[in-house]
Amino acid sequence: MIELLMTVFSATFFVTVIRTTTPLLFATLGGLISDLSGALNVALEGMMLISALTAVIISVYAPWYVAVLSGICAGAMLGALMAFFHLRLKADIILVGFAVNILATGGTVFALSQATGGDKGTSINLQSKAVPAVNLSFLDAIPVVGPTLRSLLSDHSILSWLALFMVFAVWYFLYRTPYGLWLRGVGEYPAAPEAAGINVTKVRAWSLVASGALAGIGGAQLAMFNYIGFTRDMTAGRGFIALGAVLLGARHPVGAMLAALLFGIFEALAVVMPNLFNWIPGEMIQTIPFVVTVLALILFSYRAQRARQMRTLTKI
Amino acid sequence: MSQNSPSRWAMIGRETGRAVTAVVIALLVALVVILLTSADPGAAFQTLLTAPLSSNRTMGLWIDDVAKLTLTGLAFSLVFQARQFSMGVQGQVYMGGLFAALIAMSPIGATPLAIPVAMVAAMLAGAVYGFIPGYAKARFGASEIVSSLMLNYIAILIVNYLIRAHLAPQGTGQLATAKFPDTAIYPAILPGTRFDLGILVALVATFVVWFLLYRTNWGLKLRLVGHNPKFAEYSGIRSSFIMVSAMTVAGAFGGLLGSVFVQGRAFGNLAQNFDGNLAFEGILIAIVARSRPLAVPFVALAYGYLRQGAQLMGIRTDVPTEMISVVQAIIILLVASSFSLPGKKFFANLLGRKTTPAATPEAAK
Repeated sequence: MIELLMTVFSATFFVTVIRTTTPLLFATLGGLISDLSGALNVALEGMMLISALTAVIISVYAPWYVAVLSGICAGAMLGALMAFFHLRLKADIILVGFAVNILATGGTVFALSQATGGDKGTSINLQSKAVPAVNLSFLDAIPVVGPTLRSLLSDHSILSWLALFMVFAVWYFLYRTPYGLWLRGVGEYPAAPEAAGINVTKVRAWSLVASGALAGIGGAQLAMFNYIGFTRDMTAGRGFIALGAVLLGARHPVGAMLAALLFGIFEALAVVMPNLFNWIPGEMIQTIPFVVTVLALILFSYRAQRARQMRTLTKI
Repeated sequence: MSQNSPSRWAMIGRETGRAVTAVVIALLVALVVILLTSADPGAAFQTLLTAPLSSNRTMGLWIDDVAKLTLTGLAFSLVFQARQFSMGVQGQVYMGGLFAALIAMSPIGATPLAIPVAMVAAMLAGAVYGFIPGYAKARFGASEIVSSLMLNYIAILIVNYLIRAHLAPQGTGQLATAKFPDTAIYPAILPGTRFDLGILVALVATFVVWFLLYRTNWGLKLRLVGHNPKFAEYSGIRSSFIMVSAMTVAGAFGGLLGSVFVQGRAFGNLAQNFDGNLAFEGILIAIVARSRPLAVPFVALAYGYLRQGAQLMGIRTDVPTEMISVVQAIIILLVASSFSLPGKKFFANLLGRKTTPAATPEAAK
């Protein structure tokens, strides 16, 4: 137990948490945007998976930033595809989302075997690149706290910093710009923005595209920093956990960040625990993020329900 | 019922037409993909379309898949009819498979009771596993999509662990249990093929689901809740009870599929990751069948053929089986949406006929 506490409060654990949180956070922000616009995006999982593979394959031939951009584009295009079928052809958004997920599970294996020449498991024989880590070793110069700061803040993926910025950017967009107001209005009560002359369909379509793009960065981080290279089904439910994090984060960017951080911590625990407790079977440790998601979701929904009931009671 | 049968047949015809169009479009896309990637596209496409009929053995594989696809399609149809998007069939399959295997490996497994007891145990396990997200939604308002998906992962990991650490023969490093005793494995209907009790189970289940949905009070309420939850609530139906019971009953069918998997002649044991993602393909079956239980076996028959063709294409040619996911996604997208052929109006104008706006098939939802 002491060992576990020592590990949890070490700087390396913090770095692991940031690493596991980053893809989740991007996906959660993506889920948040589409959820606020009134379209539950269950395809985050598939979008991340396809973007991860796209980024890995492109990174073989191009610099890392081109690869990340192509991952973003892949996600955005899937978002556009969903928007087309959901908004133009009136298909149910959840069914469209699962179509994307099904396309992703099989399609990535198919594309992977085409790209690697027959390997259906990993991209191990592709020379894919990584997203660079940000080196902040100059922090050492600060007296007293310098080395601690450096061990906490240095060597994170550039995308982790971008994720932090995106939390602010999404918050600013949603609550400080007219477009954000439109988006929230469209999700809350579509008739009102419609009457105000806002094109509801267009707002929803763009939010799905943005949602896909954000999930796409998450996928790129997963395959170009957390792991270098692609393995089949490497997202392993992260997109669905992100969907839970959207609900858990009270549909607010900061809440989303905290929820993603919570799941990131438990995922990091699942990473370090096999070394500390080798008597616990690995499969049981792997269930931790999923069990925590279910429990957190139930607990949070229960509290939200109670809060709603209290509000209606006071109204009467 | 008799007075609306013309419109019923018209609807069936229209739905079939849409499904066939979707499949044709999806196959055309598949053809393009094969042309782009295969060294011998002709052989690959031909294998995809004709290989399931090539021998008794492959026909058996096809029918075996049809039985399983029917059951997963039924489980999804039940929850879709109640407008619940519980995606937990995969987890239920694993739990059902686990409990069926436990019964089959226990002393009961060697007696003639093995098959019925294991089936009941599997259904109970699946029902419990379907009940959890239903209860969490009805009681706490927790999204059933997220919780059921999480439970899928949990179930797979638990079953994988139990197989690896406890159920597999010790010291062999196998990731599967030993074969069950013969009394616990479904008898073959046609000797030498996989044509076994599973297909009968699937047909009986189809009838049971149809009866539950269209001939019982509960089914009427369930469909009402699915069509219009507010109206159902106003007319005094306890929609949360219906919701939970729909997911629980669907869970029982998911669990039964677990038994069909592990006790069927294809396996006869419990192996890691045995479902091969088949459970999720029930979404496609349910959507194409418009969640109508009586349509499910027919859709499963057609889709199972395509699925088996893809498997054989993966084995016999250079195009991987996974290519079929493109076809799956396109079929779901097209059938779920209200698409119409762009050229239809054009051709009608060309022939000098007036087009009547096609009635939207939303009623089936």
